[in-house]
Amino acid sequence: MITWKEHLGTDIPDELGREIDIFEMQMELRRQGKLDEKIFAETRLRRGIYGQRYDNGFRHDGIRSQELPYPSGDVIKGPETLWDAPGMMRIKIPYGGVNPRQLEMLADMAEEYSDGVLHVTTRQDYQLHFVHIDDTPDLMRRLASVGITTREACGNSVRNVTACPLAGVCHTEAFDVSPYAKACSAFLLGHPDAQDFGRKFKISFSGCREEACGLASMHDMGAIAVVRREGGRIRRGFELYVGGGLGAVPHQAKLFDSFLPEEELLPTAQAISRVFARLGEKKNRARARIKFLVAKLGIDEFRKEVLKEREIMPPDERWTAYLPEVPEFQETAVRPPAALNGHQPPPGFEHWVRTNVYRQRQAGYAVATLTLPLGDLSSWQARELAQIARRFSGENIRTTVEQNMVLRWVSEADLPELYAELDKIGLGAHGAGTIVDVTACPGTDTCKLGIASSRGLAAEFRRRLGAKFFQLDESIKDLRIKISGCFNSCGQHHVADIGFYGTSRTIKGHKVPHFQVVLGGKWTENAGSYGLAMGSAPARNIPEVLERITGRYLEHRSNGESFQDFVRSVGKKNLRTMLQDLLLVPAYEVDSSFYSDWGDPREFSMGDLGTGECAGEVVTLTQFNLASAEQLVFEAQIRLDDSDFAGADSLSYRAMVEAARALVKTEFLDVPGAPDTVVSEFRRRFYDTELFFDKYAGGKFANYLFRRHGSSPQSPTRDTAHQSVEESQLFIEAAHACYERMAREISGVR
Amino acid sequence: MAGWQKLGLKIFLEEPLRADTQEFIPAFHSWIQSQAVDGHLLIDVHDYSHVHRGPGILLVAHEGNFSLDQADDRPGLLYHRKQNLDGNREECIREVFRHTLLACSRLESDPVLGGRVRFHTREMLLLANDRLHTPNSRETFERLRPELTQALSRILGRGVFSLDRVEDPRELFSVWVRARRSFRPGYLLRRFN
Ligand code: SF4
Repeated sequence: MITWKEHLGTDIPDELGREIDIFEMQMELRRQGKLDEKIFAETRLRRGIYGQRYDNGFRHDGIRSQELPYPSGDVIKGPETLWDAPGMMRIKIPYGGVNPRQLEMLADMAEEYSDGVLHVTTRQDYQLHFVHIDDTPDLMRRLASVGITTREACGNSVRNVTACPLAGVCHTEAFDVSPYAKACSAFLLGHPDAQDFGRKFKISFSGCREEACGLASMHDMGAIAVVRREGGRIRRGFELYVGGGLGAVPHQAKLFDSFLPEEELLPTAQAISRVFARLGEKKNRARARIKFLVAKLGIDEFRKEVLKEREIMPPDERWTAYLPEVPEFQETAVRPPAALNGHQPPPGFEHWVRTNVYRQRQAGYAVATLTLPLGDLSSWQARELAQIARRFSGENIRTTVEQNMVLRWVSEADLPELYAELDKIGLGAHGAGTIVDVTACPGTDTCKLGIASSRGLAAEFRRRLGAKFFQLDESIKDLRIKISGCFNSCGQHHVADIGFYGTSRTIKGHKVPHFQVVLGGKWTENAGSYGLAMGSAPARNIPEVLERITGRYLEHRSNGESFQDFVRSVGKKNLRTMLQDLLLVPAYEVDSSFYSDWGDPREFSMGDLGTGECAGEVVTLTQFNLASAEQLVFEAQIRLDDSDFAGADSLSYRAMVEAARALVKTEFLDVPGAPDTVVSEFRRRFYDTELFFDKYAGGKFANYLFRRHGSSPQSPTRDTAHQSVEESQLFIEAAHACYERMAREISGVR
Repeated sequence: MAGWQKLGLKIFLEEPLRADTQEFIPAFHSWIQSQAVDGHLLIDVHDYSHVHRGPGILLVAHEGNFSLDQADDRPGLLYHRKQNLDGNREECIREVFRHTLLACSRLESDPVLGGRVRFHTREMLLLANDRLHTPNSRETFERLRPELTQALSRILGRGVFSLDRVEDPRELFSVWVRARRSFRPGYLLRRFN
């Protein structure tokens, strides 16, 4: 019986083929228990093969936690990850660029090995869900045969290198960053200096400073194209940023170099990798991203380390070998340039053009955006789209970090016909980059860490906002919504005008899905600033929360006021007061719909639920104290808004102490309020015993308290105060989670 | 039997559909609660109703997925096998029919859907989820037609159906099975027994 390996033969590049063969062998070793589970887990992650929800063999079905007895029994592919459990395959696509043949292959992979759906991520990758690990070697071989590798799509490695989807055709760019993104991605792929990181490393390229596309500020390394005139000659280079990142504690990247000449790009990326591998945190995953290293050393010291490293690195001809080809890096159009000819366009065309078409720098050509609902498209659509691209756009298909796709180099005269063709395959929706074009991470649909249903909420927003899109004021249409299923920020909620991330609360023994509301993040200027949390509202009320916020913006905005300015001028205190009633949860008996998440009729759960009178008493007292901690952190946010950084920092700290005290009180009711006593009691009772430990984050959140208690900053800056507020918020969330676990255990015992 | 161990079958719904597609979500969840589908480890439910010609509402199982498929803009229940079936070609075909018919029959009587869902078997789509061993070509069709005819005759009756290949070579090898009359899933299942 012929295999894919035999069938594809030399279509698979040698090196990729060898790597896949080795991986297949490692799979066999793991199956036989001859390869350590942790080593195998990291190995498969570096091949893009990720775990997925319920892969530990348990799922709460709304009534009880049910065991999923997979046929391979307890054979595992990583800690607590069963072999047979479906997983996710992430497919790395540098700067999101694919050609029609590759798109067809992706469509086939989704159909044969997944669920018939291609999912576009916020890093311009594609993801397939419900893939069995046994299918992955063939899946990788077939992708390799069309020039796609999944290598280092996950794991502690250089992740997909992203770039503006308009690179090369944009009016505001300094130059086309695509060939640089491509070279950087190829250079660092499998590079020995990029194999020993404590965590992942994300790189982006942007053509200009002002727009959002490259989101340089939120990347481990962000490069913005700049040119300089030197001796009558234009010189290309990059404004280089390092140490940005979202995640639980967002950091704005710091300027590393205001003009890094193009020939220094790759060696500098390599030197940064070496410093990150050498000095970056390895043991504590929670502080292992490069942002923590940059913050710890300070940007000047970090720069010194990198330059020292740069000096001693042996030269590598690949640093500059690609440069002569850069000017030739060009996409070719399949049709001649031509203006729209004035013929009667198909119905709906005008709306679509307004939001989904960008006129290229090259006269007569345009970029058409395909709005993918929740970043999804079916295999059938992908195949049809490949045909359409061949006809109108050639090789020029890209994904965007807003989970859409673009067709570039479309002759303007073809736009009406293109629209009609896209519409036929369900890809003609208008509204790209508007409030209906909601970004959402996978959340509880498939992600192991998901707390609330980001996709369910996004679908609900799309439904409600889509129905009244044409009645919306332009200022509302232009807002962006981004949703993450938990604090890890994969949905990039920090840089949305209106962002949400999933949390949970327990009300009288029942879990309630909530979303933390994050307002005022800035998408433009390469993710210029991050929003701040307003408070958690039950998921059921979130559409109403959105209504109120946008309504208020519409009523009160003064001429041309941006949403960020509006949030600042009204103030979080007033905004929160406005939402106060929506933060409340009715009792289960009064309205049980609050106890299910969007798009999921199961009663909401984060595991096995339990109730008990004993827990009930503890609950009341603890909840009360946790609420006052929340109040303190809210006040801290207001101080931060008022630029009172010392006040914000001190209140954030007090909030953590208060939350810790709330927990200590469950065991030691009369604990004195002095911070020293609270922290030492908390450490003894909750940290040393690991009671406070989160299943995935371990003691990370407790360390926020210990660190701040151990040393208060001399003169807090906006950045450090912002961080204190964020950390305090997360500590309180963790305290809620800890208390919920305790309540469950107590009721279980009873 | 390479190429036959991962078959799929779509049985279409009578239209107009009187139930909202969203109602299939709680129905499928209740199936998981009782692990109601014989020979399948049911895992999760996904709402893909926003995806044009996609899997609609998807019930994921280890052995194969069930979905309220929207392909061809005609809703139907698609059973898409992911793990290999056992047996010779005819046994594989019978097995995929049995699982799909059972699921259709279960949906017809599902209390959540309240009897508002009906399937017909005037037209069905049989597919092979394996482009390597069963490429979608005229040659494959001609080679397999005798065995397909024989297997389907035992299920539907001799001489009561026709077979036509889906000709788009990009699609999985798929064959339209068009019967002269429509049988209810329950009736065909009884014939199986
Ligand atoms: S933000 Fe959380 S839920 Fe969403 S994909 Fe990331 S880890 Fe998962």
